[in-house]
Order: sequence, then structure tokens, then C-alpha cells
Amino acid sequence: MSKFDALLKNNRVGPVMRAGEVAEAVKEAAVLDNPDKRVTIEDMNAYLRISAEGELILTRATLEECLGRPFKMQELEVNLSSFAGQIATGSDRFRFYFKHSL
Amino acid sequence: MALLKREDWYDLARTTSWTPSYVSEEVLFPEEMSGSRGIPMQVWETYDEPYKTSYPEYVSIQREKDAGTYSVKAALERAAFVDKADPGWVSTMIAHYGAIPLGEYLASIGEARMARFSKAPGNRNMAVFGMMDENRHTQLQLFFPHANIKRGRQWDWAHKALRTNEWAAVAARSLFDDITTARDAISTAIMLTFAFETGFTNMQFLGLAADAAETGDHTFASLISSIQTDESRHSQQGGPALKILIENGKQAEAQQLVDVAIWRSWKLFSVLTGPIMDYYTPVAGRKLSFKEFMLEWIVGQFERQLLDMGLEKPWYWDILMRDLDSTHHGMHLGVWFWRRTVWWNPAAGVTPEDREWLEAKYPGWNKNWGRCWDVITDNLLNGREALTHPETLPLICHMCNLPIACTPGDGWDGQDWPLEHAGRLYHFGSEVDRWCFEINPDQYKGHQTIVDRFLAGLILPPNLKGALKYMGLAPSEQGQDAHGYAWIEKFRAAKAAAA
Repeated sequence: MSKFDALLKNNRVGPVMRAGEVAEAVKEAAVLDNPDKRVTIEDMNAYLRISAEGELILTRATLEECLGRPFKMQELEVNLSSFAGQIATGSDRFRFYFKHSL
Repeated sequence: MALLKREDWYDLARTTSWTPSYVSEEVLFPEEMSGSRGIPMQVWETYDEPYKTSYPEYVSIQREKDAGTYSVKAALERAAFVDKADPGWVSTMIAHYGAIPLGEYLASIGEARMARFSKAPGNRNMAVFGMMDENRHTQLQLFFPHANIKRGRQWDWAHKALRTNEWAAVAARSLFDDITTARDAISTAIMLTFAFETGFTNMQFLGLAADAAETGDHTFASLISSIQTDESRHSQQGGPALKILIENGKQAEAQQLVDVAIWRSWKLFSVLTGPIMDYYTPVAGRKLSFKEFMLEWIVGQFERQLLDMGLEKPWYWDILMRDLDSTHHGMHLGVWFWRRTVWWNPAAGVTPEDREWLEAKYPGWNKNWGRCWDVITDNLLNGREALTHPETLPLICHMCNLPIACTPGDGWDGQDWPLEHAGRLYHFGSEVDRWCFEINPDQYKGHQTIVDRFLAGLILPPNLKGALKYMGLAPSEQGQDAHGYAWIEKFRAAKAAAA
């Protein structure tokens, strides 16, 4: 397998957030909402890549707890610049996932 | 009164198909505009967009985004960052603003066509938001550079570039037209929103935002990363369209659409994004190399998502991976060489510390590209500036409309990939460019590159002066070395010290 194929065959999913208050809350919430996962943070200054293997869930309740204020899941869009994996959006949670693990 | 959650009413509210009685379905949704490919309406109605929003949510969220972006601009404007920034970074902004805003406006037209002609109600609904997104991106990226017009006429090329026959603008228009306004709605969903926006806009709007933040340009970083939050949502229109095509026996066609869009996007980014990331941005501000950003966003993220959708790697995968080490270096050398023909001031980006960085990121750079820059540096050191400008025209690829670039020095691999079609000889920069043409010649045949136009007598007088006039470049707009050749002084000092 070439080094490029090795890079391609990853299962990391999750949000890429613009740096700021919400990104900090998402970092914290990702750990709390995915207790059985190892959440990785890559800080690129302008953006943060937050990821876990196969699936990463963010819930409104946890984000409100981390932010210390009411929060609508759709507000995540203000700072959600990109994401790895596929996405499913709802009023109470966002889910990032791959259907097929490689 | 408690409000229903969006998911409790959304599917019903956006299922806006009806049975036409005054005209037939074929008249309401002409195939050449809709691209339903014989798949019945009821199947398109199963299209399920994964990233949903409603109109009230959209208005509220977009207002918040704009408030943030304009606030950052207003707060930092008095700091006059542009006046203190490295000239290479200023060129980055001027190149970006010329190439992008009216391309965004074209995307708005593409979104509007999906909103009207897609047979999938979910596609139509999300495309309305996408259309407004792209209009926002156009307005933002025309307004922000407008503040700098007092600093020089090149900033005005945000408005002007894509309306001219400047060669890079021709190349950009060729791609944007192909994937945005010259396809049916489903092809646009796949080529524009899935391939271009899920993949490549991350490079320009997030990779470059990382460099901007490192460079201290927080206004630009805030602007482009905010734009990408819109892309992140509306780019999800392509996925469900792909799913329907794959489930209905159209996988090969879907794969081909994706493969063409990836290749054509890659070529444009190799001339636009590659040089600004690896040469114009000061070394200290380069968060990653262009190749490293490509590996992060295109290989690790976008191509991986493509596999999850049920598609394969493009057939030219190995060629693309190989070219990550070379194409943009050739494009950069060409842009700097023909610098008078662009609307920005290309930074050479080859000081001793730049070259050390390039060799570390692209082992072998000095043996190949470095040898060309050695000659240029020597000419400048010895007062032979005239020799650092070209006397001939480059050979232009009939697909990407960019010079046919190859690796010089020990790695020399120069090759034209010709094709005769309907009595005309075409030239291509790679076998992949030629393949894009061969599978769909009616889409591309007859187009004249800037060199074809020169040879056909459309550019008069037939010399550089005529070419600059044809491209709309007034003397104060023509590119010059961004640093006024100040970068050669370190070489002069080293030479003097060694003597």
C-alpha cells in the first residue's frame, strides 16, 4: 500500500471548527458525548479539526452545558467550516460518521 | 405554545413536487436542464439531504455570520494591515479576490438552476439557500477588497478579472462554466457541490485561512473561513444525488462526473493556490505546504468520503499523487516569468530560506526547479533583467487553458498529449486533460486558447503590447516582481562574502 493509500484509508470523522468560543465548547463536548472514543484535536490556528474513529456525536444538551448558555444545534453552522465523514443533522444532535470502515 | 422540531415537519414541507396538468413533466423539467437520466420522479423524491436547514434558521444564522465577519473587518481596518503586510501576502489577496468573487456569482446561477430544474425536491430546497450563499460570497469578496482600491488598481480586479480575456481568468471561467453553468442540475450537484465544494474549496478557504492567521491577516482568515461554513452546508447536495445515481445503475457515469471535476479543479488550484501557499506567503506564515494541505483536505478527507459514498478512487490517482510534487512549481515559474500578464504581483519566493523550506517539503526541488531559479537569480545579479522575461508564447492545454507545465532539470518530463478531433489538432498537458476532452468532445471542441487567438490574428498588434491590451491589463495593473527583486540581495551578499 502506498503512503497515499494509507492516508486515504482512515476512519477519522468529525467537525472542523473556526477557532473561538464555540470550537472550545465542541472540543469539550466531543469528549463528553463520545465517552468510548479517543477524540483527537488538531489546532491549525484558524481552524480546529476535532475527530474520532468511525463516529462522533455532538448533542445540544452537552454543548449547552459546555457553553453555559442555551444553544440551538443549527447555531453550530456559524462556526462549522467543514467536516470529515458524512453528516446527519437534527434539532438535538449532529452525527458525523462513515458507513463503511476501512 | 411549543414549537415542533424541524424534523417533525421538514420532510412534508419541502416535498414540493406536484403532478403537472397544463404541461407535461418533460416540458416542466427538460432533460438537458434536469438531468434525471430516465430515473422516475418518485425516485428523485427520495433524495434526502443530510445537512438540513429551514428558512427562519437560515436567515438567523446568516445574519450572525455576517455580523461576525463585518465586525472583524471594522475592528481591524484602522490597523491598516495591508500597508504593513509582506508584498507576497498582498499578492495572495489580490490574486484570490480576482479569481474568486465572480466565480461565486456563477455558482449562484448554478444553484438557481438546480433550484428550478432538479427533480429532487430536497435538492431544489437546499439550492435556494445555496443560491443565496453564493450571492453572499460574491458581495463579501467584492466589498472587502473595495476598501483597498485606494492602494492600487490591481485590487479592482475583484470586479474586473473574470470579465476580461486575461489568461488566468479564461482558465478560471473555463472550469467554472464547465461545472456550474454548462451542465444539467444533477451534474452540477455532483461536479460543483460535491467535487469542487466538498473537496477543493476547503483548500482555498480553510487551508489559506490557516496561512492568513499565521501571517496576522485575521480579517481575511475570518472572511474566508466564514464563507466555508456556507459551503459546508450546501455542498452536501451532491451526496444524495450520487446515491440515487449509484442505486439506479448510473455509477460509472457518476464516477466520471466526479473524476472530471476533481481533475479540472486540481489543475486550476495548481496555478492559483499552489504558488500562493508555497511561494507568496512568507515562510513564517506557511502553516503547511500546498502538498500537505492537499493530502489533508483532498486525500484524507474528500477522497475518503467519496469511497464511503460507494465510488472509487479516480483512475488517474497515481498521476495525481505524483503531480502533487511538481505541477504547481511549474505553474509558479511560468506565472512569475510571464508576470506582466497577470493582475497581481507574483512573489518569486526563492530566497535562501525559501529554497531551504522548498527542499525540505519537496526533496529534489533544488536539482530541478532550483536550477531554473539559479539562472534567473544570476541574470538579475548581473543586471540582465530583460532576460527574466519571456520572448515566446507557452503551449496552452486545450482542457485547463493553462500552460503545459513539466519538470525541468534532472527530472525533465516535458510532453504534449495531442489529439486530432474532427480535423483539428488539440494539445493537452496530461493524459488526464486529454481524457476529459475525449469522453465529451462536444462540451469542449472549438474553444480557442489565448495562444490560438493570438495565432488566429485576434490579438493585435501581434506582440506583448497587443496581448496585454487584449487581456485588459493597463500598465499600472500588470504584474511585477512583488518585492522589486529585493530577494536577490541575500544572494549578492553571500556572493560578496564568498569572494
